[in-house]
Amino acid sequence: MNIGEVLNHTSPALFLPDLQATDKQGILTELVEGLISGTDIHNADTIMAMLQSRENLGSTAVGPGIAFPHGRTLAVQKLTILMARSAAGVDFDSEDGDPTHLFFVLIAPPQDRDHRYIKSLAALIDRAQDADLRTKLMEAEDYDAFCAAMREE
Amino acid sequence: MHPQLQLLVALQDMEEMIREVEEKGDELEGMGFKHGGLEDLRKAREDVASQVDPRHMSWYRRLTGKFGHAVVPVVNNLCTGCFNNIPSSFVSKTNVNKVQKCESCGRILYWP
Ligand SMILES: [Zn+2]
Repeated sequence: MNIGEVLNHTSPALFLPDLQATDKQGILTELVEGLISGTDIHNADTIMAMLQSRENLGSTAVGPGIAFPHGRTLAVQKLTILMARSAAGVDFDSEDGDPTHLFFVLIAPPQDRDHRYIKSLAALIDRAQDADLRTKLMEAEDYDAFCAAMREE
Repeated sequence: MHPQLQLLVALQDMEEMIREVEEKGDELEGMGFKHGGLEDLRKAREDVASQVDPRHMSWYRRLTGKFGHAVVPVVNNLCTGCFNNIPSSFVSKTNVNKVQKCESCGRILYWP
């Protein structure tokens, strides 16, 4: 799956360029609030419980400075991707101990049987290995600039 | 949402996550994810299951065995398990006070 296809599952309403929280729990809350306000998804508690379980399973901060909270839940009817950024960075239990600045949240319905969201995750993680890209994403002025940087190869 | 339905939804989401690690764990670990908390997640699943009314639980198990998923979303007044119509009166009058089943397939209904 290419990045263009992955970006079809997000939108300007699902872009949070300036997260304010200073700890992991606060960030998760901000991310879930962003999902609710940016879509017609209603059940924040269900999504929060799922993301929390996923973090307990093992931190999703697996990229350099990047986390990929993800999972399936009944609360959504289609693959939904939220992109977010924290200028200050936050402790998201990354393996290298470095703060996390960028967040790609992927929420899929249970019936996503061809594992579309896992393919999207793989494409995003692959793309995120590029250090120049991470700098551009931190500097991008808006959603369009952020997506344009993502699309550059 | 009815508290029992909330638990059933959480339970099904957790079981989906456990199944994903079992089926796709190698692929996900290849991407860098770790699943050290799997045993804890299984315990948390048991904890949620223990809070579900035994009647709902046996029904949930039977439906999961039969269909794969016991709880299904209602979309456009359709049960997404069997695509039978769910009367809108179902939603407004009874959804809040009880765990609602599809009258044709028996799956547990959830309004996302
Ligand atoms: Zn049905």
